[in-house]
Amino acid sequence: MINRWTASMRTAVCVAALVCVGAAPALAQSKGYTAPRTPDGHADLQGIWEIQKSPDKDLDGSKLIVDPSNHKIPYKSEALGQKKDNAKNSVANDPLNKCYMPGVPRINLLSYPFQIFQTPDYVAIAYEYIHNYRTVYMKRDKHLPDIDFWQGDSIGHWDGDTLVVDVGDFNDQTWLDKAGDYHSDQMHVVERYTRTGPDTLQYEATIEDPKVFASPWKIRAELKRDTKPNARLLEYECQYLADEAAKKQGK
Amino acid sequence: MRAKYAIAAVGAALLAAVVPVMAHHSFAAEFDASKPITVKGTVTAMDWVNPHSHLRFDVKAENGTVEHWSAECLPPNGLYRQGWRKTSVKPGDEVVVTGFKAKDGTNYMWTQSVTTSDGRRLFAGSPEGPGGPGGGAPPAGEPKQ
Repeated sequence: MINRWTASMRTAVCVAALVCVGAAPALAQSKGYTAPRTPDGHADLQGIWEIQKSPDKDLDGSKLIVDPSNHKIPYKSEALGQKKDNAKNSVANDPLNKCYMPGVPRINLLSYPFQIFQTPDYVAIAYEYIHNYRTVYMKRDKHLPDIDFWQGDSIGHWDGDTLVVDVGDFNDQTWLDKAGDYHSDQMHVVERYTRTGPDTLQYEATIEDPKVFASPWKIRAELKRDTKPNARLLEYECQYLADEAAKKQGK
Repeated sequence: MRAKYAIAAVGAALLAAVVPVMAHHSFAAEFDASKPITVKGTVTAMDWVNPHSHLRFDVKAENGTVEHWSAECLPPNGLYRQGWRKTSVKPGDEVVVTGFKAKDGTNYMWTQSVTTSDGRRLFAGSPEGPGGPGGGAPPAGEPKQ
């Protein structure tokens, strides 16, 4: 009796293993993990996510830069002067210290959570940091002409289980970190969001800017889900900086 | 005469918050990480503001004079995630505050934890303090109270 049971268990396990092996190519790009599905059949990226160790103090030289392999942002030599100027007075000149928008990818790399919502036509990302949001348009494939945005214009498509977001239409007002790393209005960012486990999301961004960088460069970070019961976005407002500025103007 | 305060050992591993301070000052420039302090006092106010909340409390010196102290804490979203609520401390509460004193000699400190007289201990510091940025994961489970 026991032998027959064991044999049928063995058979069941072998069948299951064959099924898994058969599905391997689809699993490979998400490191062996298959995310649950949304009703329209795509990987479900929804939830509250946050980077665990923000590189915002200084992205240049951070291990988050995976290309180039020396982890340095490949500035054009003529663009380095502006970086140095920014660094000299970084606390005063950091756009975040003026309550300005963080831009992309900086907003995903701050130590504040963000929440992803998915519909077939849009992916919406709501950020705790100064009530920011990005709408990723899944049914548009061209950036809006003749307009620029602090947070860029995001258009998305699926590459298997990876959400690919093409971000353009940037203005030149944001920094990439607190240290003064910057970009021009020619910056173009391609993001890749991939679930790697029940509570982890891999975030990659390839950044190019023909005015500032000699070549495209790439960052990769792991974001963790907020799994605490009743997890939710709170507020982080920066009206205190506006209040300070108003005080300085004698209001 | 200054109030006596105990020098307590501080475990950097206790820093569990993930919300950073704004970059308008750096911990190392403003506070002395080599001199952890523990201060006992009576709460006068709690300001729930960005970028730092402030716990304001009075400390009675040995000679009876009263020192007005201010302890720099996380912003409200960070405190909330550490289990703080607006009712956690009230004016008149006796508290024990651990952290690091300001280098400029004023009664200002970076706060690591606040313990109330009924034994509740709440963490109030950001990982940009001692232990460096990115210190540890948030505490597991729903905060008590």
